Amino acid sequence: MSRVNARSLLHAFGLLVVLAFALFPFYWMVSSSLKDQTDLLASPPVWFFRPTLSNYQAIFADQAVTGAVLNSLIVASATTFLSVLLGTPAAYALARFEFRGKADLWFWFISNRMVSPIVLALPVYVLSRQVGLLNTYWVLILVYLTFNLPIVVWICTDQFRSIPRDLEQSARLEGATQFDIFWRIYLPLGIPGVAVSAIFAFIFSWNELLYALVLITSQSLKTAPVVATNFMSGYELPWGKIMATGTVIVLPVTLFALVVSRHMVRGLTMGATK
Amino acid sequence: MKPFLKLDTVVKRYGSIDVIHGVSLEAAKGEFVVFVGPSGCGKSTLLRMIAGLEEVSDGDISIDGRVVTGVAPADREVSMVFQSYALYPHMSVFENIAFGLRMAKMGNAGVTERVNEAARILQIEPLLKRKPRELSGGQRQRVAIGRAIVRHPKLFLFDEPLSNLDAELRTQMRVEIAKLHRALGVTMVYVTHDQVEAMTLADRIVVLRAGLVEQIGSPTELYDHPANLFVAGFIGSPRMNLIPATVTAVGPGSVTLASRAFTGGSLVAPAPAAAKLEVGAPVTVGLRPDNLTLGAAQPILELTAELAENLGGSTQIHASAPDAPVIAMIANGRPPVQPGERLSVGLGGGRIYLFDKDGLAV
Repeated sequence: MSRVNARSLLHAFGLLVVLAFALFPFYWMVSSSLKDQTDLLASPPVWFFRPTLSNYQAIFADQAVTGAVLNSLIVASATTFLSVLLGTPAAYALARFEFRGKADLWFWFISNRMVSPIVLALPVYVLSRQVGLLNTYWVLILVYLTFNLPIVVWICTDQFRSIPRDLEQSARLEGATQFDIFWRIYLPLGIPGVAVSAIFAFIFSWNELLYALVLITSQSLKTAPVVATNFMSGYELPWGKIMATGTVIVLPVTLFALVVSRHMVRGLTMGATK
Repeated sequence: MKPFLKLDTVVKRYGSIDVIHGVSLEAAKGEFVVFVGPSGCGKSTLLRMIAGLEEVSDGDISIDGRVVTGVAPADREVSMVFQSYALYPHMSVFENIAFGLRMAKMGNAGVTERVNEAARILQIEPLLKRKPRELSGGQRQRVAIGRAIVRHPKLFLFDEPLSNLDAELRTQMRVEIAKLHRALGVTMVYVTHDQVEAMTLADRIVVLRAGLVEQIGSPTELYDHPANLFVAGFIGSPRMNLIPATVTAVGPGSVTLASRAFTGGSLVAPAPAAAKLEVGAPVTVGLRPDNLTLGAAQPILELTAELAENLGGSTQIHASAPDAPVIAMIANGRPPVQPGERLSVGLGGGRIYLFDKDGLAV
């Protein structure tokens, strides 16, 4: 008994260490956003301080930040929605149909993620300028879509493959169309994979800095990560505002992940067979 | 009479490999047909071809006078119960059963009525709101059957539906399927590798091996008159004892056979087709374990007991004989048989089966 207790204590301690390591930056960001400039720059650091919301008041008064968060929300939501909309039928086809060029198509999807984004930045910029997409939501949505679609296809194909074929055949026997089978069986049962890939797509689009920096120059269309870095110019580094902006940026994506992760349960197909 | 289900030299080919070699068979309306055979014999493939889930490479399938070879599965008016049940895990029992009706765009009132009717027949009314994962194996089986009967199909297909259940439940469900067949009067095709299921359920059994039909007939026909050694060995439990022997004399209606396993080295077996046999030809003698009796007045086998298994009401004895594989017999009660004991065994009932050198029944 005591040995079991000692072991679980050790486990708990190990988990705490890992947790502290992972969460400390967040703590530092959030706590810094609540300090004034004096406390922030104090050395050694102040652990107990009088929290202030002045940094938040400052950034929310700044239209650039609120606008940027809104821009990010629009771009990330649209990208996520389109990735799932286009990616899940593609994944279903790759998971369950045999057709010519299937292996090549699969590799092409994956290879899109093998290229480092920066390699494509210049060509994409030139291309976007020529078709007149610079400084629009669409240019970011389309670029993010090309990066996110492979992830969605990849994860969902795997997820759909794990669904017993008997379900599809039974449905076919009962008169379900191909679309019925996708919509009523594969999509609901593939929810864990769809949720995971949606989280990936959203986080990627939300965090992306490089393309957002290159393709959007108009102040009113800038996304949150770009605006956060904008503080880092001039002679002064307003750490409090940067940290407050960081906190505001992290919040929606965390909420999204929390909500969606409820669907990431395993064993959803339990009870289908046997 | 016009056959209700007809398979006309049906072939299934994967690339250049034939897995079903031209199977032909007919079933009358309301008949219970069982496909039986060892794993890999093509029985499930054949069933799936009837369902339309596997393409037919050659030949034709017709249901109720209509050729359905190229018809989509849903338009064949067949229902199938899968070995895995294939219940939709995210839907309630009600929605599982209703799925086919909803696909057929039936109105809500009609769906409710039909689902309730099926649930009543299968006694699963209290389960309708549950999800499949909240059901036991037997309950899932009932839901799978409910899903099949709710559509009022012309033909029921069962693909080893009981193989995932424990022995007791299997017996119980077997009886229920037989009752269901009687109540609905619908033609059923049932696939199993379990010869007990085949014997008890079937009006007619189709014995398959390696994509070929070995024999078609009623359970009694197959048991009493197996066409060949394979069917003889497959139907009946425990398996028929097969003893190699040689023909020493051919008389009118009987043959004399020689083997060291027989009492006195020889055995006279009645054989209406004895004239087909020649003196000196090798044959196989078949004796059913439940036909053999201990201490008979006219023994036919001289055996050495190896093992006696107490089955409660009866005893299964394994014994050896020179020039023969281990011979099994079922004895009534609990005869005190010791290993090594000499046994004189006679034929208590049934008959002596004879097979020629090609394994065909004589």
